[in-house]
Amino acid sequence: MKRFIVRRIISGILTVLVVFTLNFALVKSAPGDPITSLMGKETDDPVLREALMEKWGLDQPVPVQYFNYLKNALTGDLGTSIIYNRPVNDMIGERMMATILLGLTSLIIAFVLGTLLGIFCARRDGSILDNTLSTISYATDAMPSFWLGLMLIILFATKLDIFPSQGMYNVRAGYTGLQYVLDVLYHLALPCITLVLITMSGYFRITKSSILQVTNEDFITTMRATGMSERKIFNKYIFRNAILPTVTMLGISIAFLVTGVSLIEIVFSWPGIGSMTLTAINQRDYPTLMGVYLVMNVSVVVVMIITDVLYAILDPRIRYD
Amino acid sequence: MEHLLTVKDLNVTYVNKNRRVMAVRNVNMAVDKGDSLGIVGESGSGKSTLAMALLRLHPKGTEITGQALFEGKDLLAITKEEMNELRWVKIAVVFQKAMNALSPVHRISEQIEDIYRVHCPKASAEEIKTRTLELLKLVNLPERVYNLYPHEMSGGMLQRVAIAISLLHHPQLLIFDEATTALDVVTQGQILKEILEMEKTLATTRIMITHDMSVVATTCNKVAVMYAGELMEFGMVKDVLTHPHHPYTQGLQGSFPSLKGDNKKLVSIPGFLPDLSKECKGCVFAPRCSHATERCHKEKPPMVKTGEAGGAACWLCIGGEENGK
Amino acid sequence: MKRIGTRCLGALRQDAQLRFGVIGLAILLLLCLLAPVLATVDPYYYGPDSLAAPGVSGHLLGTNHLGQDVFSMLVYGVRTSLMVAIVSSMLSGIIGVVIGGIGGYFGGKVDVVISEIINIFLMIPVFFLIMLIVSLFGSDIKNVMIVIGITNWSKNAKLMRAQALSLRERTFVKSAIALGETKMQVLFKYILPNGIFPVVANTTRGMAGAILTEASLSFLGLGDPNVISWGQMIYQGKQYITTAWWISAFSGIAVIITVIIFYMLGDGLNHVLNPKYNQGGNK
Repeated sequence: MKRFIVRRIISGILTVLVVFTLNFALVKSAPGDPITSLMGKETDDPVLREALMEKWGLDQPVPVQYFNYLKNALTGDLGTSIIYNRPVNDMIGERMMATILLGLTSLIIAFVLGTLLGIFCARRDGSILDNTLSTISYATDAMPSFWLGLMLIILFATKLDIFPSQGMYNVRAGYTGLQYVLDVLYHLALPCITLVLITMSGYFRITKSSILQVTNEDFITTMRATGMSERKIFNKYIFRNAILPTVTMLGISIAFLVTGVSLIEIVFSWPGIGSMTLTAINQRDYPTLMGVYLVMNVSVVVVMIITDVLYAILDPRIRYD
Repeated sequence: MEHLLTVKDLNVTYVNKNRRVMAVRNVNMAVDKGDSLGIVGESGSGKSTLAMALLRLHPKGTEITGQALFEGKDLLAITKEEMNELRWVKIAVVFQKAMNALSPVHRISEQIEDIYRVHCPKASAEEIKTRTLELLKLVNLPERVYNLYPHEMSGGMLQRVAIAISLLHHPQLLIFDEATTALDVVTQGQILKEILEMEKTLATTRIMITHDMSVVATTCNKVAVMYAGELMEFGMVKDVLTHPHHPYTQGLQGSFPSLKGDNKKLVSIPGFLPDLSKECKGCVFAPRCSHATERCHKEKPPMVKTGEAGGAACWLCIGGEENGK
Repeated sequence: MKRIGTRCLGALRQDAQLRFGVIGLAILLLLCLLAPVLATVDPYYYGPDSLAAPGVSGHLLGTNHLGQDVFSMLVYGVRTSLMVAIVSSMLSGIIGVVIGGIGGYFGGKVDVVISEIINIFLMIPVFFLIMLIVSLFGSDIKNVMIVIGITNWSKNAKLMRAQALSLRERTFVKSAIALGETKMQVLFKYILPNGIFPVVANTTRGMAGAILTEASLSFLGLGDPNVISWGQMIYQGKQYITTAWWISAFSGIAVIITVIIFYMLGDGLNHVLNPKYNQGGNK
């Protein structure tokens, strides 16, 4: 077990290093002067240029530059946004909460609903409800999330006028306390529904198929032959074996939370990492872009390692692989 | 004498969307206390289906008719609850794929505790452990096995664990469904020997489902030969092995072990199993039988008494025992 | 050849998903070829009616803010989507097969390094990487296709590696080695052709992924402005979502239908090509 964790951590560090290097190489090999691309095409301030030259040490040979870059990042300095002239760390920190709020809320709802429906339909395989849900899940899987978001805006915001379509809270009202919380929840509704609809199908399908598969395993027949009640068989033996793929999937979704949420944030102007990234793209704010990418990568790696360890605890077979 | 288990006119039909496969038809047999009955047949002969039907572990949508009287109760007619009470206490089973017979994510000890408590809900962990260790010793396994996961054991060890688990509640009837098939010859031999050794102290009745005649020859006193869902011949092992009456059993003779015990290669009978989804008028074996007459194709032969305790379903046996030899 | 033909027909009859997928793909290909005939107007033509509702002045599905005919744009958009799907997934298929094949077949240290690389790529948030590259190197459609291709090979490599690992133990491979064929010959003659089936199925599903990725990039404004693509239509429609819903709505439906067709093809191929799945299906 210890060796397993150590191996996963080493592999995680390697991944982050590769991403670092990739980032560096990408910016280095991008067409045009790297400072210009770092500064953005529109700005050409000689003072800033010089400052950046010095900061990134571009007058030095490439390997030295690489290690400087690495050193900065290791001390937690992701650089400064050229557009806002603020540390990227602060910008990410401010935006992180909004993304986590939206991402985690919808993830939990999608996970619970999808898994429950999966269990429900596994026991009624082939029923009308099962067929309907399976068809819907096939369709939502093929749907661009941002498109679904737009359609929900048309329906619920424009036509029915039930939910707001933009932002995280009413800027003009200036609510505080409980009112503010309710206002945020009200704004959360549509983006959250969109994400739940998109991600639920995965949990639904994986839960259903793994329950069906485990139900046909020989050890379930053994348990039945002993006279064990169906409830106990399901609650303990089927569930515990069938939950394994769902755990992996949950881990992957948490790891890639930011990626999944980004496009939806843009649709609903949700003030999170995603919309910040879009702004950074439009303004060619490369330090911000790269900072976001690195932070995201580190969190992916960390969550994946946690998932792997959790999986190893749940599935005793894995430790010896 | 009252039989321990009497199977009467058992029919098992798998019903699919557009197909009905009659996997077992009109099977009659009886097992007495202390018997060890081997049910042999090639794959698709319905021998495992028969066992699963007796245990009521058949898949959904299976039609079963007939009776299976066990200590006066019809296993096929009693309620689910009554059946669950019989399970493991009276009738236990050891399955073919020992590798998958236990949950891979639970320790052996945990699974045994759960299984034990199905019938003794108040049993303490200590009590169960003592009982299990006793049984593990019986099947020649070390005590440490109790705390292992299934994947930490070899196939032979798992098979022994499965046998030990089947004995938890001193069942009267033990069914081995191809229980040693997946093992290598040496391990299989050892386990069979252990089963025989074990039975010297335990008074169990055993049904051994297998395709391997040598398993029957070494561990059973009675044998029933099945083909395409029907019972072809039954009798005492020593009679059937030395003087098979039914042409199918004779055909299988190539796979019988000689008295000296050396294994011969299986001699295959030309032809294929008939389509079990179609009604068969005559003898099911007729299309592959070298002795088949016109009558065999048209009329189903009845089970005819052969010798003391035997029987064969063949027209050849009706004209006197001589025909069958 | 004839035998392969009958086998394909058999597979089509047997598997409904594959059948729908093949029919759908055939329709898409026809749309590609017949786009100039089917389109009512030149999709690049900026007409006088901007933001016309569906049905107004002969525009079947309305027009966008520049007066372009939405229906004609949709028809031409098939070409972009199919091109992106095929080029990028071919690229990721080839890279994956070669890398995974080498790792699985050669084994040892080579395999350790290769499987570590595969694991690293499985952990990289690919979409952000694509975004970064496209925003640095420009959003030309060729760039987009290549970037999607070279970032999505890891799953294919993983599948191919597993195949190669089991294939190299098979008798026909061992006898080829015994007969003195070189490692490269064995790899390309026996391992890759025999192990490629799961990759084919996965690549087909990857085509659906590529279409969605291109649409997402376009939605971020990182699409090729010189090409008509459904993702860009959704992006353009976003600004007019309250007044001209049809621009985004129809192009999104086109994406969904196309993606479902590739899903069906991929799942169907998986059923037919994957022996493991087949056994399960017969039970």
